[in-house]
Amino acid sequence: MKNKTFQSLTNPLAKNNPVLVQILGICSALAVTTQLKPALVMGLSVTAVCAFSNLVLSLLRNGIPDRIRIIVQLVVIAALVTIVNDVLKAYVYDVSKQLSVYVGLIITNCIIMGRVEAFALSNKPLPSLLDGIGNGIGYGAVLVIIGFVRELFGNGSLFGYQIIPECFYEAGYVNNGLMLFPPAALIIVGVIIWVHRTANKDLQEK
Amino acid sequence: MGKKKFLGGKNSNAYIVFYSTVMVVIVAIMLAFTSLSLKDRQNANELNEKKDAIVASLGLEKGSYDEVIEAYVVNKEGQVIETAETPLQKLFDLVGSHAKGEYPVFENKATGEVVFPLTGKGLWDDIWGYVALEADLNTIKGAIFDHAGETPGLGAEIATPKFQAQFPGQTIYEEGQLVGIYVVKGGAKGAAHSVDAVTGGTKTSEGLQNMIKNCLDNYDAFLKVRQANVVTENAE
Repeated sequence: MKNKTFQSLTNPLAKNNPVLVQILGICSALAVTTQLKPALVMGLSVTAVCAFSNLVLSLLRNGIPDRIRIIVQLVVIAALVTIVNDVLKAYVYDVSKQLSVYVGLIITNCIIMGRVEAFALSNKPLPSLLDGIGNGIGYGAVLVIIGFVRELFGNGSLFGYQIIPECFYEAGYVNNGLMLFPPAALIIVGVIIWVHRTANKDLQEK
Repeated sequence: MGKKKFLGGKNSNAYIVFYSTVMVVIVAIMLAFTSLSLKDRQNANELNEKKDAIVASLGLEKGSYDEVIEAYVVNKEGQVIETAETPLQKLFDLVGSHAKGEYPVFENKATGEVVFPLTGKGLWDDIWGYVALEADLNTIKGAIFDHAGETPGLGAEIATPKFQAQFPGQTIYEEGQLVGIYVVKGGAKGAAHSVDAVTGGTKTSEGLQNMIKNCLDNYDAFLKVRQANVVTENAE
């Protein structure tokens, strides 16, 4: 039993990764990964929201009418994000400014509703909380990898600090402009999925 | 017959209506409560941010607003006018204030440098900023831009120091004609009144160029009067 609970945390990290295996959350994986910092911030925010919405909805699960469950999920998630954003705005204004762009993207992130629907509504609060954290981290990890590649080759920097030295540019090196556009993110996701499936043979379709 | 269920069970219409009503009321109370109880703190934070942005465009330290800045409101003819709100309050609804023909000015009391607030549209959402002019009222001393929702790495680059560093030293007048600043795609290469646009942020760059021109146009009369004064002072 203990082992099974723990698995709900570790499974989404690799074997059942929301982006790589369930192919969820691709839209935001394109939108916020031009740089490493927003990718990281988005990963952390989604982890927090996914964990708490899973927890809250798992606690409420026995009272929610089946026919309006999607609406209830959306209300809980949106209210949660709005309240947290309001509190941040009042007490840690700088952080809230960083996040404000992503608030809409967090609420509509399909991973959050996907996990509530697929897991939290039919499981106990603790495994649901762990499942939320696991999926958030699994999502964030992929985002960070994409952000790393795109910022390094698109801007020559990481976290805004110049990594590729000036002498490279003088020798004729040019930043890859494609990296800054959405198709680059899709290509990188594709490559990661390829590597991931090569390593996990049981995931390959027959 | 088992135990009688509340409102006929989890999936009856009565229960669904009851459940959604209660849920909406609870969530509305929670949202209203957080919003109201935190409003003052949020406003104070926003006001401080605006004050800091104004002094930052002048290259001064954060928190020095109250010592150095004298704020007033001018009309389209460049005359100082009395308004119901303070110039700082006007920043919270700059579009509305412009529609009324009231334009706030923030002046460095010691040096005569002036800061103008700007507001415009980027690709996705509002963009805004502050442009500080030297005492000659032509050369840009500094510029700060920010945005509500431009794409990180693309349009959002207008908020970076690297992009804003292109502005100081640029002039906004050409032979007495207000031209603003051209945000040029593919590199300005030292052309007058021009800076490099953001790569991959064409629409945001266009919005920025329009914002600078449109907002500064409102101060044209004010600037010309002040420029004339500067010239006569120098002649004496």
